[in-house]
Amino acid sequence: MNQQEANILTVDGLNVSYGNFQAVQNISFDVRKGEIFGLLGPNGAGKTSTLSAIEGLLKPDSGTVTVDGYNSIEKPLHARASLGVQLQSTSFQPELFVIEVLQLYAGVYGLSLSKDDILAILRDINLEDQAFKKFGQLSGGQQQRVSLVISTIHNPKLVLLDEPTTGLDPQSRRQLWERIEAIREKGHAVLLTTHSMEEAESVCDRIAIIDHGKIIAIDTPQAIIDKHRDDPEVISVSRRGKITLEDVFIALTGKAVRA
Amino acid sequence: MATIIPKTSAVLTSLLRADFTTQWRNRRAVMLTLIVPIIILTSWKGLISIVGGPFVLANSITIGLFASGLMGYANAVARDRDKGIFQRLRVAPVPFWAIMASRLLVQLAMILIITTAVFVIGKEYDGITLSPVAYVFTYFTAIIGGAVSLSLGQMVVGWIKNPETINSTTRLIYLAFIMVGMFGELNKLGETMDDAVQWSPYGAVKTILSTSMEPDKWTSHASMALLVTLVYIIIFTTTGIKWFKWNTK
Ligand SMILES: Nc1ncnc2c1ncn2[C@@H]1O[C@H](COP(=O)(O)OP(=O)(O)OP(=O)(O)O)[C@@H](O)[C@H]1O
Ligand SMILES: [Mg+2]
Repeated sequence: MNQQEANILTVDGLNVSYGNFQAVQNISFDVRKGEIFGLLGPNGAGKTSTLSAIEGLLKPDSGTVTVDGYNSIEKPLHARASLGVQLQSTSFQPELFVIEVLQLYAGVYGLSLSKDDILAILRDINLEDQAFKKFGQLSGGQQQRVSLVISTIHNPKLVLLDEPTTGLDPQSRRQLWERIEAIREKGHAVLLTTHSMEEAESVCDRIAIIDHGKIIAIDTPQAIIDKHRDDPEVISVSRRGKITLEDVFIALTGKAVRA
Repeated sequence: MATIIPKTSAVLTSLLRADFTTQWRNRRAVMLTLIVPIIILTSWKGLISIVGGPFVLANSITIGLFASGLMGYANAVARDRDKGIFQRLRVAPVPFWAIMASRLLVQLAMILIITTAVFVIGKEYDGITLSPVAYVFTYFTAIIGGAVSLSLGQMVVGWIKNPETINSTTRLIYLAFIMVGMFGELNKLGETMDDAVQWSPYGAVKTILSTSMEPDKWTSHASMALLVTLVYIIIFTTTGIKWFKWNTK
């Protein structure tokens, strides 16, 4: 397998701007098959903007995105068919029953699932009892779980998750990590953002730290920690003796809270 | 493994099912679009001998069409855009036109429902009947009138992003059309105003509807009104699509 075939996603020289403000500056990285890749960065760093460009929601100023060999601008439908997506802020028609939301997305992804198939999916995430409740009546965390299960409903080769654990209780969070690891077992890949350095350190095979629209570090969590463990800033922010990814993250991106 | 893009027909079927279900769950709000047409049909009963049945039916249908396109369609699009419902659909392998086509087919059904409701109430309550050809003709012109109102709604959601502002704007336009419908025909507003009323989206749609209810009396004035509606549709649609953004951020 050459490099090209090993990658499910290649982002090359990506630039995204809103008016005069450049949110993503010349970002390049790739995600390999069977890999969990974490995109970390402070609020406003450009994580969601990067994902939006990959998803085709916004047109980059320059740069290319290749999903499973398909250029996302030239072959948008092919690229999107290989993607499973959970957006940072998304919703489904609040009037639809939960089961109807799943039926809609099963259909949209070209699956023919029976009612029992869909109930089985809901049973999996312990929401079978809510199947005939309106989506708008679910709690925030329950809505998040529906959104997450839809992101993998068609068994996509690459799953993009923008802050997937936000709003989840510890049980659902743990179940999510199990599901994410199951995706890796299948040889598929996950690109996720998170603000939890602990989670990133324990589940991500590789991470990129992004700040002010630029990648400032990209490697395995351990390699990034090892590379910076002797930096004076890292030692000064470390509070527990043992250097963690969070210490390195804060040292690299600064202590100041972002706008 | 080759990537399989879902069949557009299957995607459209799923979208339609969801959009019709949503519309059905909102049937109370849908009923509201029929309120003013029903008020006209009942309160103008005494006027029928003076102004004629087609005049009453045409005003009712026109008001109903604008209620549906402005308040129904535009507000639904504004809300779903603001909530990110479109964004989620757009990251799926769905052609963008399919998302809109499904919405528009729901609206087409609404046009037919409004027109039928006005015909039925007009016949049962007011005793207004038309020739079979006239009924068929009027369904066609109602679809054209519906297109004027939908494209106007599209222009509003293209122009404005905030759903609350869209809500009040569409209500304001709707109210203006009701005023035009109620008072504009009295010929008491002076010549300039009368012209403005006649060739306004409301007036033009009303003219093609009332004339198609008596097809043998089709005039060059009606042809002109039909042309004007087509021009409105083209202008509203192009600007409405050109300005439209899928998200509000
Ligand atoms: N539609 C928009 N118009 C203008 N500026 C925007 C828009 N969307 C994002 N931005 C700006 O672009 C920058 C990057 O935003 P982005 O949403 O990508 O950040 P993020 O890394 O996902 O942050 P968070 O952790 O808070 O989700 C921010 O400064 C933000 O204010
Ligand atoms: Mg974000």
